[in-house]
Amino acid sequence: MTDTPSQDEIVHLARQAGLDLPDAYLQELVEAYGHVRAMIARLPAGRPHGDEPAHTFVPQKFLPVKE
Amino acid sequence: MSNPAYLTITEASKLIAARKLSPVELTEAYLGRIGRLDSQLDSFVTLTAERARTEAKSAEAAVMAGKPLGRLHGIPYCLKDIYDTAGVRTTAMSRLLADNVPTRDARCQEKMAAAGGVLLGKNATWEFAHGGPSWDILFPPARNPWNRDHSPAGSSSGSAAAVAAGFSPATLGSDTGGSIRGPAAACGIAGLKPTYGLVSRRGVIPNCFTHDHAGPLAWTTEDVAILMQVIAGHDPEDPASADVPVPDYAAALTGNVKGLVIGVPVGWLETESPLTPATRAAFDAALEVFRGLGATVRPVTLPSLQQFDDTKKTIAVAELFTIHGKDLRTRPDLFGASLRYRIIAGGLVRAEEYIQAQRLRTDLARAMQAVMATVDLLMLPTSEPAGKLAPVAPSSLFTKVSFMTPFNVGGNPALSVCSGFNQAGLPFSLQIAGRLFDDATVLRAGDAYEKATSWRDRRPSL
Repeated sequence: MTDTPSQDEIVHLARQAGLDLPDAYLQELVEAYGHVRAMIARLPAGRPHGDEPAHTFVPQKFLPVKE
Repeated sequence: MSNPAYLTITEASKLIAARKLSPVELTEAYLGRIGRLDSQLDSFVTLTAERARTEAKSAEAAVMAGKPLGRLHGIPYCLKDIYDTAGVRTTAMSRLLADNVPTRDARCQEKMAAAGGVLLGKNATWEFAHGGPSWDILFPPARNPWNRDHSPAGSSSGSAAAVAAGFSPATLGSDTGGSIRGPAAACGIAGLKPTYGLVSRRGVIPNCFTHDHAGPLAWTTEDVAILMQVIAGHDPEDPASADVPVPDYAAALTGNVKGLVIGVPVGWLETESPLTPATRAAFDAALEVFRGLGATVRPVTLPSLQQFDDTKKTIAVAELFTIHGKDLRTRPDLFGASLRYRIIAGGLVRAEEYIQAQRLRTDLARAMQAVMATVDLLMLPTSEPAGKLAPVAPSSLFTKVSFMTPFNVGGNPALSVCSGFNQAGLPFSLQIAGRLFDDATVLRAGDAYEKATSWRDRRPSL
């Protein structure tokens, strides 16, 4: 998604996230989400299928702790 | 003996071991200064004076009994108020945690206590180490001891202010995008963001799991090295903890930087986020000190600051919402406005976007390590000198790039040291970053620089 969503769309997205906000906080969300959208739009997309994220599951980290 | 409150850990430890300074006397010196002067700075949110006196008496008794002494025996210290302390309120400066009293110490606190330290109290932070400065949260923001109208930066604000003011020789902070180094820079002290995974985060209230670092702040790099010796090491209770040997950091402080190759990311400093002329001059002077000590300096090219910032902040806003989502849904009024603004949109970040940012982090971290393989250290200013302490638009988090965030993304160790003072008497800062798990070389360079300059001779007057 790169287009700027309308306020109604943001309200819909917020409700999907469980946020039923009073008007004052909703305006904060609309403004803040604009900044977050801008950041996300700058992230390069179209990556190869096999590109791994930086944090992957390392099973050794979950071995029982020795007393 | 000089004012005991201005002793470094190194100096005080020698005097305590030689029975020339009592831990009780040292602790009372700090408690006295805090009692007289902290109303000017608000660097502490909780003082544990009686506990400190009890611990100091116990430390004194051990000295007199000739018992073996820990690395911090009888040395007072404080903790950012996001470190869990059993039986002592831990608030993260948030009304959400106003009554939060942990039942277990953070791993770092366990280590500081086991090393013989004396806990003075808990330091002011930005709310949950992320939103600030704020005047609508549990406590007022800390002030900069060099000029109380100026900010100590954030989020380990009170920690850095307390050390610079001579309220404590040591403190632990946290750094997710610069929160140890920024305050260290603003307050003219030394602060290290260690390599990711080198210091346990268990029991430290999270900001952003994948970028959080716990680390030390002190007046000198030598003292930072002592603190690292105490707190570094594998902790199986921290999933990000690295199982690697911990070197002897004090032994690494040889004073010798001859032959080291220093990279300077000139594109960041000259094009993407140009320095002010005064900060540029202070930085050039610092590089000249290293040249004089036998190091060589050359330019390097890294991915853009903007890419590092966008990646980190996309990941962070999603993780922050994960941590605070329940409270944002049910009692958003209890958040300070700055923190709420900075995290609320995280609920709208899609899983695909979060994971794409994590994929980009892989690229950026590899690019950072590829450059680090061609040099021993990177150097650049930590930040411009401290600005006024005043409300800032919470959107600034999203619109301003930082010289510190790239090393959170890469996981590399990065130290801030004082590199002079501007015409207003506020500190300049030098940031020294190193290879993964080569914190020792970073500390060696910082220590050599401090000992080759006179910046450690000046203290703020309160």
